[in-house]
Amino acid sequence: MRLGAALVLIALAWLWLVRTEIPDAGAGWPGPRGFPQLLGVVLAVLGVWMMAAGLGGSAARVDERTRPTYTGELPVAAGTLGVLVLYAFLLERAGFLIATPLVIVLAMAGLLRLRRWLPIVSLAAGFTFGCWIIFEALGTPLPRGSWIGW
Amino acid sequence: MIAEALSPATLAATAAGSVVGLVFGAIPGLTFSMALALMMPFTFGMAPVPAIAMLFAVYSGGMTGGAVSAVLLGIPGTPSSAATVFDGYQLARRGEASLALGAAVIASAFGGLFSLLVMMLLVEQVASFAIRFGPAEIFALVLFGLSTICGLAERSMLRGLIAGVLGLMVMTIGLDEIDGVPRLTFGTVQLQQGVNMLVAMIGLFAVPQVITTFLERRATLSPWPGEVTAEFPWRRLRGYWWLMLRSSTIGTIVGAIPGTGGPIAAFLAYDHARRFSARPEAYGTGELGGIVAPESANNAVMGGALIPMLSLGIPGDPATAVILGGLLIHGLQPGPLFVQSNASLVYALYLTIVVSWVIILLVQIWGIRLFVRVLRVPPHVLGVCILVLCAIGSYAIRNAVFDVYLMAIIGVLGYLLQRLRIPLAPVVLGLVLGPTLEQQYRTALILSEGSHRIFFESPFAVTFFALTAAIVGWQIWSSTRRRPRTR
Repeated sequence: MRLGAALVLIALAWLWLVRTEIPDAGAGWPGPRGFPQLLGVVLAVLGVWMMAAGLGGSAARVDERTRPTYTGELPVAAGTLGVLVLYAFLLERAGFLIATPLVIVLAMAGLLRLRRWLPIVSLAAGFTFGCWIIFEALGTPLPRGSWIGW
Repeated sequence: MIAEALSPATLAATAAGSVVGLVFGAIPGLTFSMALALMMPFTFGMAPVPAIAMLFAVYSGGMTGGAVSAVLLGIPGTPSSAATVFDGYQLARRGEASLALGAAVIASAFGGLFSLLVMMLLVEQVASFAIRFGPAEIFALVLFGLSTICGLAERSMLRGLIAGVLGLMVMTIGLDEIDGVPRLTFGTVQLQQGVNMLVAMIGLFAVPQVITTFLERRATLSPWPGEVTAEFPWRRLRGYWWLMLRSSTIGTIVGAIPGTGGPIAAFLAYDHARRFSARPEAYGTGELGGIVAPESANNAVMGGALIPMLSLGIPGDPATAVILGGLLIHGLQPGPLFVQSNASLVYALYLTIVVSWVIILLVQIWGIRLFVRVLRVPPHVLGVCILVLCAIGSYAIRNAVFDVYLMAIIGVLGYLLQRLRIPLAPVVLGLVLGPTLEQQYRTALILSEGSHRIFFESPFAVTFFALTAAIVGWQIWSSTRRRPRTR
C-alpha cells in the first residue's frame, strides 16, 4: 500500500519535472517529452494498481513478511554509499594512488570493523598497485588528482 | 592469402588481440569497443590480414571475457554479459564457478563459430533479410524483447513491470538523440551524455550484492562455499547443445540487424531458454541454460553484425564501426561486391576468426583454474575490492568521476529496490532496450509523417507485435491459473 502510494508520488513528481524541464520541440507528439511522459503515466497506473492490490491483502504483504532482515541494515547501506562518494571525491582530488588505499582501509575498519592492521594495509597497498599496473599497461589512465598530480 | 592467415605474424597478432580482448572484457568498465579503439593504432603498420585479424580477435575475446566478471563477481564485464549474471553468479555462490565459466566459454565459442559459418554460407541472403528491417520492424522486435519482463519478473508481474518502467525512465535522461533537446539534465553538462548503460549495470548488480555481503559478515553468516573446485565437468553440458544452436541462431539474426546488438540478443535468448525449459523456475537460481543461452547468443552477434558490415558497409554496433574503420584504413572498402572481389582475403579473415576462437577457448579453459581462485578470497574482503573495481570501472568508461557518483547512487537505489522486492533484472532490461525502443519508434513516425500505419504495414512488425501480445497474454493467463494453487 505504502509502496504504491510512493510510486504514485514519484510518478507525479516525474511528470511535473518532464513538463518543466524538457523543452517542447514543437514537432508534435511524441517529441522529446512524449516517451518520458508516457512512462510517468504508466508508473502512476502501476502505483494505483499496487495500492489496490495492497488493499486486497495480496502477496505483497507476504513478501514483506518473508524477506530476510539484518541488524544495522541502514548504517551499512549508508556507509557503503558514503565510502563510494568519498572515493569519488578523493579520486578527483588526491588521485587513484592515494585515494584507493585510504578507502580500502576505511571500508575494512569502518564498515567491516576489522582491526588486523597488517593484512589490511598489505591488501590496500597490493590491490592499489595491482590495479594501477593493469590499467596503465592497458593504456587506460586512472585519475591523478588535482592536489598532487600522481 | 590463406598461407598469410596462418603466418607467424598473423597468429601472433590474433593471439595478442584475443588476450587483450579477454582482459578488457573481463574487467568491468573496460569494454571491447575501447580495446578496439586502443589497438587500432598498432595495426597501422601491419599488413591487412594480421591487422584485421587482430581487430576481429579483440572483438571475439572481449565478448567472451565479459562472462568472467559476470560469473565471479556478479558484475557484467560488458553490457552483453548482463543476462549471464543471473545464473552465473548463483552458480559461483554454490561453488560451481568452474562449471559456469566452462559453460560460458564453450557456448561463446559455439555461438561465434556458428555465426561465422552462417556468414560464410549465407552472407547475401542474411544481408538482404536484415536490410528489410527498418525502424518500425526494429521497434516491434525491441517491444517483443521487452515482453521478456514477464519472464524476468520473478514472483510478481506487477513488480516486474514497475522495475521495467523504472529502467526505461532512467534511460530517457540526457540529450535527446533526435531533437537534440536536453531531458532532465537540470543544466548539468555531465548528464547531457545520459546515464551510461554499463555504469548503471555496475551499480545495480554489484553494489546491492556488496551491501548484502557486508551485512552477512556482520551477522557472521558465511554465504560462500568453503571449497571451490577448479574442475570442469564436461558431461553437464550434454543436454544443452540444442539450446546453444537455437540461441546462436537468435544471436546471428539479431546481430545482422543494424542498431540492435549483443545485449538485446542475450536477453532474447535468455528468455527463450527459460520459456522453453522444462524447469523455468530454476532460471535465476543457477541454471546452466541461463549461461549457455545468453553467451551463445551474444557471441553469435559478432558473425551476424559482420554480415551487413562486409556486404553492405553498414556497421551494426560501435565495435563493428571500429573494425570498419580498420578496413578502410587498409584500403578495403566493404560493400556489395567486397566478398566477390576480395574472396581470398575474406576467406583468410574467416580463417583468422576460427584461429582466434581456438586461442580464446584454450586460454579460457586453462584460465578457469586461475580465475576461480578469486573465490577463495573471503567474501567481505572481495566485497571491498569489488567496490573499488566498481568505482574505477565506472570512471574508466568515460574518464568521468561524475559516473562514480552516479554508479554509487544507482547502486544504493538498486539495493533499496531489492529490499522492496522489486526485481532488478527488468530494470536492466529497461536500460538495455529503452534507448532503441524510443529512437526507433520516433524515427518510424518521422518517416511516416506521424502515421502509426507504418507499424502495421510490415509483416515482420506485425509478427513481432502478435508474438508480444501472445507472450503477455499467456503470462497473464498462467499467473491467474497459478494464484488459486498458491493460496
